[in-house]
Parts: sequence; C-alpha cells; structure tokens
Amino acid sequence: MEAPPVTVMPVTGGTINMMEYLLQGSVLDQALESLLHRLRGLCDNMEPETFTDHELVYLLKGQQGNPFILRARRSLSHPNAPWHLRYLGQPEVGDKSRHALVRNCVDVAASHSLPEFLNEMGFRMDHEFVTNGHIFRKGGMKIVVSKLSRVLVPGNTENTERLSLSYLVELSVLAPAGQDTVSEDMRSFAEQLKPLVHLEKIDPSKQRH
Amino acid sequence: MGVATDTETVCHVPVAEGKSVQQTVDIVHKKLEQLGAVKHGSFCVDCETYHATGNASGQPSKLLYVMHNSETPLSCMALFEGGPCLIADANFDVLMVKLKSHFQNAKGHKVECRGSRYRYCDFLIKVGTVTMSSSARGISVEVEYCPCIVPGDCWNLMKEFMLSFLGTNVPELPSVFAAKPEGLFAPADCVDTMTQYLELFNKLRKLQISGSNVR
Repeated sequence: MEAPPVTVMPVTGGTINMMEYLLQGSVLDQALESLLHRLRGLCDNMEPETFTDHELVYLLKGQQGNPFILRARRSLSHPNAPWHLRYLGQPEVGDKSRHALVRNCVDVAASHSLPEFLNEMGFRMDHEFVTNGHIFRKGGMKIVVSKLSRVLVPGNTENTERLSLSYLVELSVLAPAGQDTVSEDMRSFAEQLKPLVHLEKIDPSKQRH
Repeated sequence: MGVATDTETVCHVPVAEGKSVQQTVDIVHKKLEQLGAVKHGSFCVDCETYHATGNASGQPSKLLYVMHNSETPLSCMALFEGGPCLIADANFDVLMVKLKSHFQNAKGHKVECRGSRYRYCDFLIKVGTVTMSSSARGISVEVEYCPCIVPGDCWNLMKEFMLSFLGTNVPELPSVFAAKPEGLFAPADCVDTMTQYLELFNKLRKLQISGSNVR
C-alpha cells in the first residue's frame, strides 16, 4: 500500500483480508424440526435465535468487466438495527484438499441511509428477497437455517412468496486468510449432521446454467 | 447511538499577520490557557477524496469524501457534497480498497487536521492544524457547547465565548444549522460536525489554489 502523503497514518481501522469459509446444503420443510433438534444438541447453549431479513443485491456496472456486487441487508424484526453491507469476492481456486469454499469477505455496519447512498455511488438494485430462519453457533462457526422468499412487489416485504419447499442450510466461519484448519473443523461438524443434511462445498460460479 | 446533547461549530482562523501557522496556533493555545481552559488530550480529523472512474451516463461525477474523526474512532463517514451521507464502521475503508477500479483515491487531496483539545466549563475546544500534502495550510477551531442541542438558542453564548479568545475571527452561524427547519444539531452521528470540517477543508483548498500567502 502506498503511504499517505501526510505525516502519520490516518485513524483508519478495519480488518483487511477476512475470508469466509462456507459449506451449504438444504433440507425439505418436513425435515426441519429434526435438523433444528440436532443443532440444539450440538451447538453452544444459547437462547434460540430467529431472524427475518430483507436483502437487496446491488450492482455497479463499469466500462468493462464484471459488475461489482454488494449485498445490503436489514433486519425486519429489529428495524432500528444498523444495515449490514457485504462484499463477497470470487471463490478461491484453492487446492482440492480444502473442504470448504473460501472467499474474501468485507462486512460493514452502516446507517439507514445506505440504499440512498449506494444509488448516489452509481449502484443499482438488481434483485431482492426476504430470508427468515434460525441461527446457531458453535465456537466460531455459524449455522444458519433459512427459508428464502421472493418479493412480489418491489420494496414490499409484506407481500412475499416462498421460493421452494426446502430450507437453505449454511455453515460458515469468518477467519483471516490462511487459516485452513478452520475447514477441518467445519468438515467434522458437517459429518455430525449427516444424514439429516449433507453440507457441501458449492461453487456459485458453476451454478449459472 | 447516543442522545443529542450538544452543539458544535467549526471555523477557520486566519494566520496572524507576520506569523507562521504554528505560531498562530500557539497564540490561540495561550489565550485559552489564560482563560482557564485545561488541555485535555488531542484529536484528529481526516478526509480522503475519491472520484468515480467511469460513469456510464457521461455526466461529471460528484466527489465522494471519506472522513474519520478521533472523537468517534470506530466510525467512518462517507459523504457526497450536498448529497446523502453514510455512517459506517471502519470496514468501509476496506471496502473502498475493493472498489478502487470504480472509485479512485485522489492521493494529493488527502487532508488531515490534528491538534489539541481543551476543556473550559461546558465548552470543548479543539484547535487544529490543517495539513494538505504534508504542508500546513491553515488553522481550525472547533467549539462544542455540551449542554444544548438547539444552535439558535446557544449561538450568542458560543459567539461571546469565542470572542474571548478569537477576537474578530468569530464566525457566523454555520449554514448546516441555518438550513435545518427544526434547527437541531445531530451530534450522535457527527454529520453536522463533519460537514463543517469538509466545508473548511474545501475553503482552504481553494485558498491554496488562488495563491493566498498562507504559510
């Protein structure tokens, strides 16, 4: 990085180079209860946590190349909470031995002016959806079991339609780059969830067919 | 988020005749100390300028400013001149690095304002040296009156206080307050303060361009 032209470094913070390790799977609606039961037994002892979020996916198109994608999320159950802005990089073309998908990740907490601000930056909303479900934790691992719903009238989160008859299951860890032991822990945890759900390393870029 | 509890004003103090920036800062410090103000740590406000690299519409793009204030060390503020502003956490800086192919950092435009904080009864005073490209360009004085959030109600008091150590350099009511119908200051998100700093930085930048003899 080039040094700033002033005498000292600015009071900037932020965590550079955080990676998201991810495994994904799904269960049919009828299997939800048994999966939740299993997760309650395996995960850290905590109050059951549910959520309902609205996610807007924004694109910034440049003169060339792929558009820049940002995800803005807000809680519908806690409307006063800050918005969550997320950048996800391309999955790493890592070695085959790694058990999880690894991609660069930047999480930013932001004020409620976020949609207006992204518009001013030139971003345009591409699509939106509502997601609701359950969160579990085990150490640094996060397990999210969620139902995705399509927003029928743009911006109206009251009027939604379920996308499928199943729940998305995601196991993720945020860690600095290079901590590949993380994916080992994830694999052994995923093993314990079989045969209720099979969590796999799914490359989203190979799904555009 | 905190509760709105104070009013702040930021103004530019011209360099005294025949003095350097540092000597003028020392004079202001001395006057504050003579009043009985007590030194209370230091502060820093900085501002990075970005411009959009290629916009499809072909219209001239607005500048995007990303600012930090040591009073709110975990936050980062991004704003467009006269446009919407965003308060985010420090990871916003990391995001701007990711966005570098769309928003270019105008390196030469980095502005920093550093100095000392003073406390005097209900007032908090920050005297800063504004630096652009490693050279001191001017002096800022920020005065915060902690107990009141209605600028119109405490402006005369603040003015009188500033008169005691700034003499004739007392500013008018900042436009950010005049423009607000409800006239309330919003310190919880420091937007009003940062807008005033940005106005001051842009004013000093123009002074520099027009070839003023500011040293």
